[in-house]
Amino acid sequence: MKRNPFVYYGKKALIFLVSVFVLSVAVFYISRLAPGDPLMSYYGERVEKMSVEEKEAAREKLGLDDPIHIQYVRWLENAAKGDFGISYKYKQDVTEVIGSRIGNTLILSGIGFLLTFLGALGLGILCAWYEDKWPDRILCKGGTFLSCIPEFWLSLVLILVFAVMLHWLPSSGAYDVGHKNDILNRIEHLILPMVIVVLQHLWYYAYMIRNKLLEETRADYVLLGKSKGLSKKQILFGHCLRNILPSYISIMAISVPHVLGGTYIVETVFSYPGIGTLSYESARYHDYNMLMVLCMMTGILVIFCNLIGQIINERIDPRIRANETNEASEVTSG
Amino acid sequence: MDELLKIEHLSVGITSTAGKVQAVRDVSFKLHPGEVLAIVGESGCGKSILCKSIMKLLPKSAKIEGGKIYANGVDITDYSDKDMQKLRGKLFSFVFQDPMTALNPTIPIGKQIAEAILIHEPKLPKEEVYNRVIALMELVGIRQPHERYKLYPYNFSGGMRQRSVMAIALAANPKILLADEPTTALDVTIQAQILDLLKEIQVKLGTATILVSHDLGVVARAADRVAIMYAGKIVEIGTAEEIYYDPRHPYTWGLMQSLPALNKGKAELKTIPGMPPTLIDPPVGDAFACRNEYALEIDYHEQPPMFQISDTHFAATWLLDPRAPKITPPIGGKANV
Amino acid sequence: MSDILLDVQHLSHVFKLSKHLRLNAVDDVSFQMKKGEIFGLVGESGSGKSTVARCIMNIYQPTAGKILYNDINVCDRREFQKHHKMLEERRQIIFQDSTSSLNQRMKVADIIAEPMHIHRIKPPRGRLRAEAEFQLSYVGLDASYLDKYPAELSGGQRQRVAIARALSMEPELLVADEPIASLDVSIQAQIINLFKHCNKEHGFSILFIAHDLSMVEYLCDRVGVMYHGKLVEVAPTAELFSNPQHPYTQALLSAIPIPDPIVERNRKRMDFDEMTFEREGALTEVAPDHFVLRKEDRQ
Repeated sequence: MKRNPFVYYGKKALIFLVSVFVLSVAVFYISRLAPGDPLMSYYGERVEKMSVEEKEAAREKLGLDDPIHIQYVRWLENAAKGDFGISYKYKQDVTEVIGSRIGNTLILSGIGFLLTFLGALGLGILCAWYEDKWPDRILCKGGTFLSCIPEFWLSLVLILVFAVMLHWLPSSGAYDVGHKNDILNRIEHLILPMVIVVLQHLWYYAYMIRNKLLEETRADYVLLGKSKGLSKKQILFGHCLRNILPSYISIMAISVPHVLGGTYIVETVFSYPGIGTLSYESARYHDYNMLMVLCMMTGILVIFCNLIGQIINERIDPRIRANETNEASEVTSG
Repeated sequence: MDELLKIEHLSVGITSTAGKVQAVRDVSFKLHPGEVLAIVGESGCGKSILCKSIMKLLPKSAKIEGGKIYANGVDITDYSDKDMQKLRGKLFSFVFQDPMTALNPTIPIGKQIAEAILIHEPKLPKEEVYNRVIALMELVGIRQPHERYKLYPYNFSGGMRQRSVMAIALAANPKILLADEPTTALDVTIQAQILDLLKEIQVKLGTATILVSHDLGVVARAADRVAIMYAGKIVEIGTAEEIYYDPRHPYTWGLMQSLPALNKGKAELKTIPGMPPTLIDPPVGDAFACRNEYALEIDYHEQPPMFQISDTHFAATWLLDPRAPKITPPIGGKANV
Repeated sequence: MSDILLDVQHLSHVFKLSKHLRLNAVDDVSFQMKKGEIFGLVGESGSGKSTVARCIMNIYQPTAGKILYNDINVCDRREFQKHHKMLEERRQIIFQDSTSSLNQRMKVADIIAEPMHIHRIKPPRGRLRAEAEFQLSYVGLDASYLDKYPAELSGGQRQRVAIARALSMEPELLVADEPIASLDVSIQAQIINLFKHCNKEHGFSILFIAHDLSMVEYLCDRVGVMYHGKLVEVAPTAELFSNPQHPYTQALLSAIPIPDPIVERNRKRMDFDEMTFEREGALTEVAPDHFVLRKEDRQ
């Protein structure tokens, strides 16, 4: 039995839209319920000298005096037109502020993501190949040790060693002043944060690959493969790896936000001018419009990646497709 | 060379947390070209481990501890995994108990069979490989092979999967087929079909088969010779007729007597009292002695040697010693069916 | 009271697999069990025989049909509620896989005594432990097993513990769902002897579900053959095995391996083509007490 792909993807799209809508309502309400005064981020110190009337006027000007649901509807109307409001802190269009920074984050998280997953795959295969021999044991022990170290502490240690003591690498920023288009300079600035981003998740996924592979090598079909004369290499790469890849790819998709979240923390520690530092600031300074857009961006990414992961799982792995067909054939024969 | 496979005094040990299990103890037998030798025994008697040790498919915890394995007259006991790769598939192949898990679920059946051909003839042109796969599928009785080539294992029923496993096993024309309980997981009607197929292949291709089973009915259908295993040892071996109509070992008697088909109309099935011994610390004498109602004094002290009854029939029981008291077997002869 | 213990009438059970998919696991099955009878239900895997057992034990609620146990309709919620204590005591089930049906964290003594404890039955032998010991000795295990955990036992011993637990309630009906399928030949014989003993000495009725036909032939008084959810033939054992009528039964019987090489090698096997299976029709009596699924108009 074949499912109609339009219905299938249509359903997924609907789920996506509903989730995004629910998310936007939740973020909007929760951000406004948090204690603190958004006027502080707009007017800074001046707020304390303002009279009650002036404050009222300022609130009205920023649209903060209406009930929350009316504010939400207004935000939604403007957002539909592509207007996400201005940042209270930067006094600029939210999109402009984000636009100037998103590139930095994409470089850091994108390359970090690829390195993490390729590295994990390599390490996992290496460990599985040498199961219980010394390379596997050393990697397992070292990896577990490494993943126990909190990343902010490790960041500080790395800064101390490579920036403060050795002066090999810069400790913060994305580039030195005046070197915006100097690639080498950018790479220099990327190394330390990148190391942290990769190390954070590397062993977690490598160990997962290792265990999944080893689980596969215990399967009966591996014995059959051996008995037909396949070599260890052919079995590991041609059969076992092939069988775990779909689930690995879907896990990769689901873990995009996981890695991205890690990047946010690393950005803050290294004062790296990206979305991470921006999110942190916007939450701190009640920069509602900014917070809203950033939360929505991250949220949409999470939901989208989860859906992609699901689709990969359901479409690529014949074992999952099997259930549909099996049920169908059982019914026709029974 | 008269025999394809010769096992001499083979011993296999398995390390476990409780100690070392002597799973196979001093087993010797020969396999002749084109014959079906059945190895019969209860679970834990070492029949499966024996089978896997021949092809060196043992789990990591198991090790061959003594004895020799000769394949086609060549001593392969100390062959490395690399050396074995060349023999596996080509000289001997394996058919597993559970066809539901023995196939890779994510690769189409045809491709899995093709892979088995390509391992040994990597330069074969695509067309030729395809034709060979189709021919194999036809040989093992998979109907509409062209349509089924691209199907995944989950599209197949248990019987069809076992046929596919057999096609894979036969892909490189092996001389020996090792079948470990190939029908246990299947329904009775499918079991009969697979057994007939085994027999048919043996006649058509002249493949010698080692059939491991716990079911004396299944063995009767397929085997030329039968070896009975107990506690890691072969206790009796002979042609099927000798084992079924003239069994000599008390354990063989016990097995036969517990079969309902041979006990129609009797009020009670005969059972073998007690349990098989653990093989971590096997008894000094005959391992079957404490369950054996005919046990002699000597059984508790000394393991019986293999006594020869005819050219083909051997049994390891002191009852066959000339000094032993004469006992009329409680079972045997054609009259009991 | 009549001598009919169990009367299954037009039982159907449909599994809903998804919105569009339905599986007729059991399709219009009717049979009766007399008191003190051993009734065998055979068929291939997926033929619905276990589903029938589970409907009888109220594990599944049937989609259609009635099951009368001592004239109580157990499928009727109200009637079941009224008699549920009696029903739960008098009917016991044993599963194929005793490894998973015994609680791994309980000792044998507690496992056997549990049903008595639940139903607050005063043990006839004073203490629960004494009762457990008695039941255990009845199934052929000594008191040293009382304090063991299921994991320490072999498959055959675990199955005996499961039987001892069922027997502790002195049931009227014992439903045994493939109780010997995972056991060795000599152990199978022990369990079968035990069933026979229970039936003869204590008058337990046993619904014995199996795919090993030679054991069924040895143990059962009457046999029902199921195929794809349908009951295709019911007859007294000797009659069924000597004179099978339905083509599927014939194929099934011809496939039982006989432990005799000369006979077995020369035996012709009959094939049954799934395509020719006729689902329609009703059980028709072809000989005394011998029913076959047939289309009425064929007669």
